[in-house]
Amino acid sequence: MSEKIKILYVDDEPENLVGFKASLRLDYQILTAVNIPDAIACLDNNPEIRIIFSDQRMPGKTGVDFFEEIRVTHPLPVRIMLTAYTDVESIIDAINKGNIFRFVKKPWIEADIIWAIEEANKFYMANSMLSIKNVELQKAYNELNKFAYSVSHDIRGPLTGILGAINLAREIDDASEMKEMLFLMEKSVKKLNTYVLSMHDYYSMQRGELKITEIDFNRIIDEVKAIYTVNSKVNHVTFKINIKQDEVFLSDHAPLRLILNNLLSNAFKYQDPNGATKSVEVNIDVKDGKAIIYVTDTGIGIQESHLGEIFNLFFRSNSSEVGSGFGLYNVKSAILKLNGQIEVSSVLHQGTTFKVTIPSI
Amino acid sequence: MNRELSFIIIDDSELDCFVTQKFLERANRKLTIKVFQEAAQALELIRENKSEHNKLPNVILLDLQMPGMSGFKFVEEFEKIPSEIQEKYVIIILTVLSSSSDPKDIYNILTFKTVKSIVEKPLTLEKLISLLKHVPSAGDK
Repeated sequence: MSEKIKILYVDDEPENLVGFKASLRLDYQILTAVNIPDAIACLDNNPEIRIIFSDQRMPGKTGVDFFEEIRVTHPLPVRIMLTAYTDVESIIDAINKGNIFRFVKKPWIEADIIWAIEEANKFYMANSMLSIKNVELQKAYNELNKFAYSVSHDIRGPLTGILGAINLAREIDDASEMKEMLFLMEKSVKKLNTYVLSMHDYYSMQRGELKITEIDFNRIIDEVKAIYTVNSKVNHVTFKINIKQDEVFLSDHAPLRLILNNLLSNAFKYQDPNGATKSVEVNIDVKDGKAIIYVTDTGIGIQESHLGEIFNLFFRSNSSEVGSGFGLYNVKSAILKLNGQIEVSSVLHQGTTFKVTIPSI
Repeated sequence: MNRELSFIIIDDSELDCFVTQKFLERANRKLTIKVFQEAAQALELIRENKSEHNKLPNVILLDLQMPGMSGFKFVEEFEKIPSEIQEKYVIIILTVLSSSSDPKDIYNILTFKTVKSIVEKPLTLEKLISLLKHVPSAGDK
């Protein structure tokens, strides 16, 4: 079983504390405090306390006062009143001001306490899950906002462009001019297509379980190599591949391919067309249960001030039309999914190196 | 419209630049047209005042959503250059308007004094004629 549930019990009578602790310490981790300042100090030092029991009548503040105070400062633990003092007013206060979860009457019996703890723990877990879900939801919501923007620019933009071109085509008689425009229209359509494909990548990286298999990096590289070999010949870019894999590596094939594919695509895409020597190099070294992948290019490089942002959704460092703003974000998502890390170093006009470390699962 | 005018098209999309340019050429053969896919380059040229046709009224057709320097940033930077250069240009926004564009952004861009109008892509003859009302003739001062 996981760690014992941490519980704080506040009571001004030490013998009550001792009795409580003695009967419950086997199943739970019991912390105690004899007064309210001690109890607050204890909460500060033990943020993982899930449940608080408190007596009502104590010197100085009452249990209700204490609960009312920590409701604001320590909202997470579930509050339970444990008292012999049962006049209606104090019960009403405990519920309305202290916002308590349960009221347990002294003298208590163990079954009542355990039942209260188990119920309180369920409540605590549900609340924690809710706040985790809320954070996730907020993130999804922010991305949805970016999507709305991106859809208008990256999908509607090319579409209106193509529409404009079709309108213009009605007036063009010159065949060579028409061909030039068709070429540009084709580029726009291809860009839209890439955008939709990356959007699919985006979803498959966000959702879905891992499919762990034995990974042969030679095979993955063979799968992606074909596209880049053509590019390498046409644009005179030297393409070097070094793979050292002597051990079994377990991971998910699809995210790995996505990572390599996107990094290579960028390495070729962002070459300096006027560069004297153009090269792209992939080094993969599988050792001690880890795969270390380097993708190095002699391209245009990335501005230092942009390095922190390149993994953000829809961030484009380069103003030329080619990027969709999905690529490196998807790479990062894929790496997170595989529990790996990515580092980047780049010198403007000289080139960029990405280092990816992925553990075998 | 047979006036002599100079146009500067600033748009990150190659196709949109092409379509706008061809359209302008068809509408009027006397136009001088320059095309920039990067706003920063256009700004550089304007700032250095190297435009050879700077005696003509210069119309800048500016897209808003561009990577690198956006249209918003361009206008901001443009208003920092000396006013005697600014005076030679008129900025017209030529962009894709959609339900998801923030109306605040559109409103903001119109508060710049150098921005005269917004036109929705694609450009048509009617739109061109109406936007030219915002452009003073060469002799006007």
